[in-house]
Amino acid sequence: MSESSHPTLLSSCALAATAKEAQFRVPYPNSRVRASRIFALDQRAADAMMTITEQPWQGAHFLTVRVNVDPDKTAASDLPLEKPDGSPADLAEEIEGANVVVLISSSDNNAGAAEVIAREAFMRNIMSAGLVLNEDGDAMKSSAVVNTLRPFTSVLVIATDQDFIPAMLTALRA
Amino acid sequence: MLRKEVNDLLTQTGADNPMGKMFRQYWIPALLARELPEDDCEPVRVKLLGERLIAFRDSKGRYGLIDEFCAHRGVSLWFGRNEEGGLRCPYHGWKYDVEGNCTEVPSEPEESGFCEKIKLTAYPLIKVGDVLWTHMGDKDNRPPEPAWEFATVPPEQTFTSKRWQECNWLQAMEGGIDSSHVSFLHSGGLKSDPLFKGAKGNEYNHADKKPIFEVTEAEGGLYIGARRKAEEGRFYWRITPWVMPSFTMVPPRGDHPMHGHFWIPIDDENCWAWSFDFHPVRALTDEERQAMKDGHGVHNEYVPGTFRPLQNKDNDYMMDREAQKRGDTYSGIKGIAMQDASLQESMGPIVDRTKENLVSTDNGIIMARHRLRKAVIALRDNGTMPPGRSNEHQKVRSVAVVLDADQPYAETCKEDLKSRPGTKQTSV
Repeated sequence: MSESSHPTLLSSCALAATAKEAQFRVPYPNSRVRASRIFALDQRAADAMMTITEQPWQGAHFLTVRVNVDPDKTAASDLPLEKPDGSPADLAEEIEGANVVVLISSSDNNAGAAEVIAREAFMRNIMSAGLVLNEDGDAMKSSAVVNTLRPFTSVLVIATDQDFIPAMLTALRA
Repeated sequence: MLRKEVNDLLTQTGADNPMGKMFRQYWIPALLARELPEDDCEPVRVKLLGERLIAFRDSKGRYGLIDEFCAHRGVSLWFGRNEEGGLRCPYHGWKYDVEGNCTEVPSEPEESGFCEKIKLTAYPLIKVGDVLWTHMGDKDNRPPEPAWEFATVPPEQTFTSKRWQECNWLQAMEGGIDSSHVSFLHSGGLKSDPLFKGAKGNEYNHADKKPIFEVTEAEGGLYIGARRKAEEGRFYWRITPWVMPSFTMVPPRGDHPMHGHFWIPIDDENCWAWSFDFHPVRALTDEERQAMKDGHGVHNEYVPGTFRPLQNKDNDYMMDREAQKRGDTYSGIKGIAMQDASLQESMGPIVDRTKENLVSTDNGIIMARHRLRKAVIALRDNGTMPPGRSNEHQKVRSVAVVLDADQPYAETCKEDLKSRPGTKQTSV
């Protein structure tokens, strides 16, 4: 092969990083649909979540826990979970095969439910993310919620507006 | 994943684009002060937010940033003569002052008043610290002058550099708030870089490669806390502030100088990566300053006579596969700055975010985009001024600290996260 026809260019990064070359990126989807399970842990979180459940999500399930539970006395099957239409749901069934769990909370009186859900996720090596709604900007209150969720989540976000819920779920392809 | 319309909204920064209008609400770094070192020095071409400009310093030491091209026949004023209080086009002698006013048109009678009808676009250029800053927006709605700590400490305590990065500003900026890449891409630097090594915090970094993130909104932007295991019952926190639209500070290490960045669009496919180092309470040592000039820490080496990094896409960033194999560097690219830039430039001029697959640990990036989008829309639709303009928003610091497990970092470190003149940084 002659020098001039050698396929390795002198500056291959320079060629590869152009806008023109970007047009040749593989056009097919590079990921499959994820199974995301979104849990609202109190009424205010549920109200915020319910405003977006009708959007065209990619298989996300939205679930609500409306009562506090004692985690030591509550098995997964006993957690009172509700679907958006008000029908009951089973935690173990919902969480089986999930890729990510998102816990949404606006208060610190739901530690029991958070622990039961996170425990099931942990047993299945599923990443749990926590989203604290702190719309009134009360730092002390959000601290209490953060401390509640911190032991159970791998990432925590404290957001001051509920618009972040759809932004986050869209970004995560929920 | 980001929808195409949102990606376009955040990455397009021309004068008619909403994001471009938002950048024009801030004082942004335009040049290093040393680029205009003396009165009547040579003018410098500057491209910012898609506008080609010329910067000069006149006979009285006034700084000017005006349209690059002569109003007569479009000649670049880079060829101009900087003399006697203005920049004179060498083609037919038209002359402009630092405010873009045409002060002489030699071919026309002075009495005709012709030159009073000619004016080039001009933006203010002010010196704060090592940097010349400009505000390219409405002069009647100009924010207070910049109050960033790195620019307001005494000169012997600070050092600033800039480099040309060949990609859109947003993907470069997102690297600055993506704390999870540090344990991989930059892992070699903690052991060897003279501006990082030796800190106790580095031990926590190396021992726990899976940080847990907490993202908290602040008035001016965000705090991104990365938590690693420390001694029993305690956590090592590295807290990165992000102030809108594009300022970040890297959490400190020991008594090393603190550092951070701005990312400023040149156009939509290029940006300036500004990097600064400063120490809040002491002068930089000769060794530290030399290390910065030599390209260590967050700085870089240059193609001589330019702001283009010595390692660039034309030489494959001087990739060293042997160093990669040995583990001297994780990616094979030397230096923190170019480790970041090489990968960010490889995404293409403007990365297609519809194809990305973000995970939970990317929530700092997700929140930053959310805040930017909201601010851009609020400005566009309601004329609401974006966060980050006020001096209070700018008085931030990064923090590295060990806390008890039940201590929330944002409240516990509230004072540490503010810049406090004469007070040492909170660092481990």
